[in-house]
Amino acid sequence: MLGKLIKYDLKSAAKIFFLLHVIYLLICLVARFFYMDRLRFEEPVEPLVFSLILFVTLMTLLISALSIFTWMQVAFRFYRNLFSKEGYLSWTLPVSAPQHLWSKIISGYILMAADLLILSAGVLLLVTGDNVTSAYSMIADELENELGFSLGSFVCLLFITCLINCLCTVIMLYFSILVGQLFPSHRVLGAIAAYFITSFVVQILTMLLMLVFGFFPGYRGYSSAYGLDYTIRLLYMSLILMLIVTAIQYIAAHYIIKRKINLI
Amino acid sequence: MRPILECQRLTKKYGSFFALSELTLSLDRGQIVGLLGPNGSGKTTLIKLANGLLNPTDGHIMINGLAPGTESKKIVSYLPDRSFFSEHMKVKEIISYYTDFYDNFSTDRASKMLDTLEIDINSRFSALSKGTKEKVQLVLVMSRDADLYILDEPIGGVDPAARDYILQTILTNYNENATVLISTHLISDIENVLDRVIFLQNGQLALNETVDDIRLKYGKSVDALFREVFKC
Amino acid sequence: MPWNLDNDRPIYLQLMERIQHDIISGVYQPGDKLPSVRDLAVEAAVNPNTMQKALSELERCGLVYSQRTSGRFITDDTAMIKKMRTELAQEHIRDFFDQMRKLGFSDRDTLEMIRDTIRGINNETNT
Repeated sequence: MLGKLIKYDLKSAAKIFFLLHVIYLLICLVARFFYMDRLRFEEPVEPLVFSLILFVTLMTLLISALSIFTWMQVAFRFYRNLFSKEGYLSWTLPVSAPQHLWSKIISGYILMAADLLILSAGVLLLVTGDNVTSAYSMIADELENELGFSLGSFVCLLFITCLINCLCTVIMLYFSILVGQLFPSHRVLGAIAAYFITSFVVQILTMLLMLVFGFFPGYRGYSSAYGLDYTIRLLYMSLILMLIVTAIQYIAAHYIIKRKINLI
Repeated sequence: MRPILECQRLTKKYGSFFALSELTLSLDRGQIVGLLGPNGSGKTTLIKLANGLLNPTDGHIMINGLAPGTESKKIVSYLPDRSFFSEHMKVKEIISYYTDFYDNFSTDRASKMLDTLEIDINSRFSALSKGTKEKVQLVLVMSRDADLYILDEPIGGVDPAARDYILQTILTNYNENATVLISTHLISDIENVLDRVIFLQNGQLALNETVDDIRLKYGKSVDALFREVFKC
Repeated sequence: MPWNLDNDRPIYLQLMERIQHDIISGVYQPGDKLPSVRDLAVEAAVNPNTMQKALSELERCGLVYSQRTSGRFITDDTAMIKKMRTELAQEHIRDFFDQMRKLGFSDRDTLEMIRDTIRGINNETNT
C-alpha cells in the first residue's frame, strides 16, 4: 500500500516538476556554452566582473525560485491530498494514518532531493568548463591555504548536509500543516504560524547552543588553521540539532495524524 | 449476525455545538436504509464518523464490530456529498487507482456501467459536467463489492432520468448481505427502494422504522410523515 | 419503467396486487417462470426485500410456487386462476354499483344504462 501511495503521489507531481527542472537544465546548458565558455579569465577587467556579478545574481534567483517552487509543491500536495476535498478519497482508502504520513514523507523527500540534485548538477555544468577549471587551479592553492581545506571537500560536506536537511524540511512542513489542522477555523493560518514559531524556536536554540559551546568566531578567534575543524563542527552541531528537532516534530505529527484529524 | 453499523451514545461536538448527541443505533445487514433529516440534523456528521473522517467526541461507532480503520475501510464504500477526485486525473486513471487500492473493486462492472452511460474513460475529470462527475463517482463506489455502502446525497445534483438510472444502479449492484445507507432530501424519489428509514433531528434519533410499517401505522408515505414531523 | 404505486398503502400489498393482476390478465401464463426477485425489483424500482415479501405472500396464497433451485413459477392450477379472475371481476362490479348508488342511480337504472351503452357501442360499430 505504501508503495502504491508513493507511486500515485509522485506520478501526479512529476509532470510540472520535470518540466520546470528540464527548463532549468536547458538554461544552464545554454549559459555554459554561450556565456561561461566565452569568458576570458586571463585578463580580468571591470566589464567581466560586472557581467559575472549580474549572471551569478540571476542564477541565484533562478535557483531560489526553483527550490521555493519544490518546497511549495511538497507542502501544497500534502495539504491538498489529505485535507482538501481530495482527502475524502485519501482517508477512505484502506490505509492507516501513519502510512499516509510515511508515503508523503518519502515522496516529499524524493522531490526535495531530486530538486537539490538537479540544481547542483546545473551549477556543476556551469563551472566545469576548461576556462573556469584552469582559472581556478591557478588560485586553488592560495584559496586552500586561506581556508584551511579544499573547496571540493567543503562542497561535498555541504551537499550531504543539504540532503539530510531536505528530510528535516519535509517533516517540518508536514508538522506545521498538521498543527494547523488543530485549529478548525484557521487551518492555513495555524499552519503558517506553526511554521514560523518552530523556525524561530529552532534559531534561538541554535544561537544559545552556539553561545554555550563557544562557536562564535569573534569569541574564539578565527584562524585559518582551525577553519575546517570549525566549519565541520558547526555543521555537525546544527545537523544534530536539526535531527533532534525533526524527531520531535515527527512524533508530534504522527500523534496528530493518528488521533486528531477531523476533516471539514 | 453482527450488525454492520453500530453506534453507542455517539457524540460529536464542534466547539459548543452538538452535531450528534448520544446517538444509539444499529443497522443489520441486507437492507437499504434512508438516513433522513433536515439540514444540520447530523446526517453528514454520522456518515463521516462511520468513515473515520472525524473522531468522535464521546461514545463509539463500530463497523462490523470494529472501530473505523484500515479494516473497516476495506468493506465500506463511501460516496461523499462533494466531488472528491483530483480534477486532472482521467477517468481511466481513476479506475486504475480504484483497482490498485480496493481488492473488492470490479473493473469490469465499472467499465460496463460507464459504457452504458456513454462516458468516455479518456476524458479528464475536470472536463466533465457536474452531473456526469456525480455519475462517475457513483459508478466507482457501486463497483466495489462492499459490505456497507454509504451514499451521501447520491441523487442531489442530477436530472430525474439520471436519478432513475442511479437508483437502478444501486438496486442491481448491492448484494443480499450488504447494507446501503442513503442520505438524501429527495425522499419521495427513493422511498420505494428503502427498507427502513432513520430520521435524525438535532443530532438525535427521531424515528427508526420500516417503510411499510410507517405506511400501515400512519397511513401515509414517508415523505408526508417527514413533512409533518419536521414542519417549520 | 417503474410501476405506479400509491403513497399511502404498504408497498408490498401493491406489488402483490400488480403481479396478481398480471397473472389474471395473462401477462404471465400458467406455469411461466417469474423473473428473479432482483430483476422484478429493478423493473418496479422497489426494494428487493419488499418484492421478496410480496412474492412470499403470493406463494402463501398458492398463486406462485417456488422450486428450490430453478426459481419461482406461476401456478399450473388454471381453475384457481379462473376463480380468482371471477372474484376480481365481481369485486369490480360491486365497486361499480356502489359508485353508481352514490351518484343516486338505482341498480335497475344502472342496469338499463349499461344495456343502452352496449347498444350504442353496437350501433356505432354497425354503421
